[in-house]
Amino acid sequence: MSGQKARRTDWYALSWRVPLIVWQGLFFVGPLLFMIAMSFFIVKNYRMEAAFDWGNWIKTLGRPIFWDSYFLTLRLAFGATILTTLFAFPASFFLSFHASETFRRWAVFFLIIPFFTSYLVRIFAWQVILAQQGVINAGLSLFGLGPYTMLNTMFGTMIGYLTLCLPLAVILQTFALNGVDRRLVEAAHNLGCGKFHTIFAVILPLAKTGFVVAAVFCFILSFGDFVAPYYLGGSKPPTLSIMIIDTSKSGQQWPRAAVVALMMIVTLMGVAFSAIAYAYRRRR
Amino acid sequence: MRQPLVVLDNVVKRFGSHVAVKGINLEIREGEFLAVMGPSGCGKTTTLRMLAGLEDPSEGDIRLAGQSLVGKSPHERDTPMVWQSLALFPFLNARENVEFGLKMRKVEPAARRRRALDWLDRLGIGEFAERPVDQLSGGQRQRVALARALVTEPRILLLDEPLSALDAHLVIRMQAVLTKLQKELGITFVYVTHSQSEAFAMADRIVIMSKGEIAQIGTAREIYRAPINRFVAEFVGRNNIFTGTSQGGGHVETPFGTLTVSGERAKGTPVSFSVAADLMSVSATPTATNSIEAQLLSEEFVGSMVTLFFEAKDGTELKVQMPERSFAALPLDTSRSVYLNFAPENAQLLKD
Amino acid sequence: MSLAPTRILLRIYIGILFLFVFAPIIASFVFSFNSDRFPTIPLGGFTTHWYEKAFFNAELLPAALNSLTVALSTALLSTFIGFTAAYTDYRYQFFGKTGFLILGLLPPTIPLIIMALAMLGWLSNFHASGMVVSIVIAHTVLCAPFAMAIIRLRLHQMDPNLEPAAHNLGASEWVTMLNIIIPFTRPSIIAALCLTAAVSFDEFAVSWFVSGLNKTIPVVILEILTGNIDPQVNAIGSVVLLVSIALVVIAQSLVMGRTRSTGTAS
Repeated sequence: MSGQKARRTDWYALSWRVPLIVWQGLFFVGPLLFMIAMSFFIVKNYRMEAAFDWGNWIKTLGRPIFWDSYFLTLRLAFGATILTTLFAFPASFFLSFHASETFRRWAVFFLIIPFFTSYLVRIFAWQVILAQQGVINAGLSLFGLGPYTMLNTMFGTMIGYLTLCLPLAVILQTFALNGVDRRLVEAAHNLGCGKFHTIFAVILPLAKTGFVVAAVFCFILSFGDFVAPYYLGGSKPPTLSIMIIDTSKSGQQWPRAAVVALMMIVTLMGVAFSAIAYAYRRRR
Repeated sequence: MRQPLVVLDNVVKRFGSHVAVKGINLEIREGEFLAVMGPSGCGKTTTLRMLAGLEDPSEGDIRLAGQSLVGKSPHERDTPMVWQSLALFPFLNARENVEFGLKMRKVEPAARRRRALDWLDRLGIGEFAERPVDQLSGGQRQRVALARALVTEPRILLLDEPLSALDAHLVIRMQAVLTKLQKELGITFVYVTHSQSEAFAMADRIVIMSKGEIAQIGTAREIYRAPINRFVAEFVGRNNIFTGTSQGGGHVETPFGTLTVSGERAKGTPVSFSVAADLMSVSATPTATNSIEAQLLSEEFVGSMVTLFFEAKDGTELKVQMPERSFAALPLDTSRSVYLNFAPENAQLLKD
Repeated sequence: MSLAPTRILLRIYIGILFLFVFAPIIASFVFSFNSDRFPTIPLGGFTTHWYEKAFFNAELLPAALNSLTVALSTALLSTFIGFTAAYTDYRYQFFGKTGFLILGLLPPTIPLIIMALAMLGWLSNFHASGMVVSIVIAHTVLCAPFAMAIIRLRLHQMDPNLEPAAHNLGASEWVTMLNIIIPFTRPSIIAALCLTAAVSFDEFAVSWFVSGLNKTIPVVILEILTGNIDPQVNAIGSVVLLVSIALVVIAQSLVMGRTRSTGTAS
């Protein structure tokens, strides 16, 4: 509110501002800050005690297995992001540029459904489908192929990540492409740019921000997911998320788990900020 | 007469059950400035888009220099267009926008850079070549769009209401830029607009469209002096339209009495005719032919011209246009009736 | 048209993509009625055995009750908070608004497993973990942003002059809220309730960490999964799926129906 009204306290305005600040302050910012503190606590006789001790950081970051796991997780998440982006694009391109309005509505609706089906149940279904004697190998054996080992491999992990990310990526990419000014596409054709070339010369540069946002979400989801690498990838070697579970669930080593979690947050922030900076980069 | 560059041969465009263009025939001459005018929804933009290949005609043929364009993809044609929204690529700077068409034609980087900069210089915005387009003013963006379309040296340029987003003073300046360019380059401009002043100021010929059909084609003078039907007469706007019944011998019975026109219709048929506002005169006493008693309602000054609005006895509004100087000399006041006069040869019989 | 082959290929492609997305969902449903413990091709006989097994699973009934309690409480709380935040964003500009929006929208970008650990540490610190209310607290943090986004979208469709018009006609702020804003946003409020309930109903990572002995259904599923392959997961999953889809369909039809009737044409 402007002018004179701002001078006295606007209780109406404040009362709408307070709930979010209080709740997210107490139960979102609070826990995250506490986790930073917790990473310096010590554990004695399976009980956590407040302290300021760098031991957890030194021990956790000093172990090669942490770094193995760290780079594995990074590689897996980047791989999943690239695969998802590539696999989603033809679909989102079709939905945005070739499908009818009705078809697009229904497609988006169906792509939302997976978010509300249990991810665990879907991963369990993949376990059964991809198993050595599972549906796919049984199907392939009819053609005299296989059996192929798909569970407990990188392939399995990727199937899980795609299950998690693909619907979201298609939806976000479709929205991004819908935001592309069709007149610019026509202008490109008018200036002699072929249909296929226009995708790279005009459509993708225009939809860049949306595509980067979609990719960042894929990265966040797969970087933090423990279900796919555990149940489909066999947890060999474990990713950071699995490491958090192992460390915190056995022996109450919450402080060390906090170190891993903080390393993950720093990494995520780094990736997300550079991606967003790239997406919004202004031209000279 | 020069050979037609573009021929539209009975072109029909349907969108579902809606017929946007109803079989138009049009020859566009090499090197002319052709304006296509009409109210929104008349099919003018659809016609232009068919020329650019952005829409395929449902029926009929479009030929450019004798070759059919139908079925040719937009990017295979050399029919650049300037969009109403300009459609500049926001992720490219001014120079890169201009280079785009050359890049698509596989022109070498050095050559296309030089040609793009030449064109930007020619349009007076060379110093802004490296600016992102969203940091340019409306007039500068306009020039980038023009340069982008012209850099490939096409034989024809399509313009879709390119000046409609500009401020009034910029419109006048861009009109001058456009007419000068068109004369210098000698290429064909097809200019879609809903603005009469733009069309009349720039075009060699004007096409007036209505409801998917061509109502009239002609020079500005022809359309202004001799509107072919009521739609054109009303659309041009500077006309007084009279309706009545033909009495034979050029006489028409109207609510203002019997008026005389040049032209003949069978006795007893309903007729309408128009008289341009600047071909009407004002006098204190009735003259021998075609005098209508009316009272002054208001006056409107535009530049050195004044338009006077009168009300006839039956309530009909009539307009008279004259130079401001002649207006000052008139003995006018709103309390007294005056007489509006026109010569029979200035009354144009309308087709419907 | 020269484009036709591309178009056909894209159609086939999107078919395959949908097959991939829905394969596990359909498979789980089919397997839930399949007598084999390790389903494969050809399928075994029809059975409702897994449903019976799930039904008599001693852990499941209390878990279902917990899940429902959590989902309902979370839906109400997070929709309320989401509404206040969306309205604030719609109506006010103030110092620190960026921070306010970050607070409102950041939680979904933090991996659940990290939220789980942080929440466990924080709540234990106050001896507040291991209770049903701990899950509600955590889920509300996660779900409020979704509610905020949905309601904000609806407010975006509201003529910004509506509220001043009501004030101009003599309505006070609170009267305007009750008579103009809430009725206008009602479909999105209901949609937010459904969606947050569905998100809460399926969330497992945070629940698993903070629930202690008060497990929810997804936590039970997670524990069954950690053991052997047990097709009762399919049975439970199919029931959960039906509940979730019902919620989503209601939400979607409310959001979409309104958008179509009052949305701008474009």
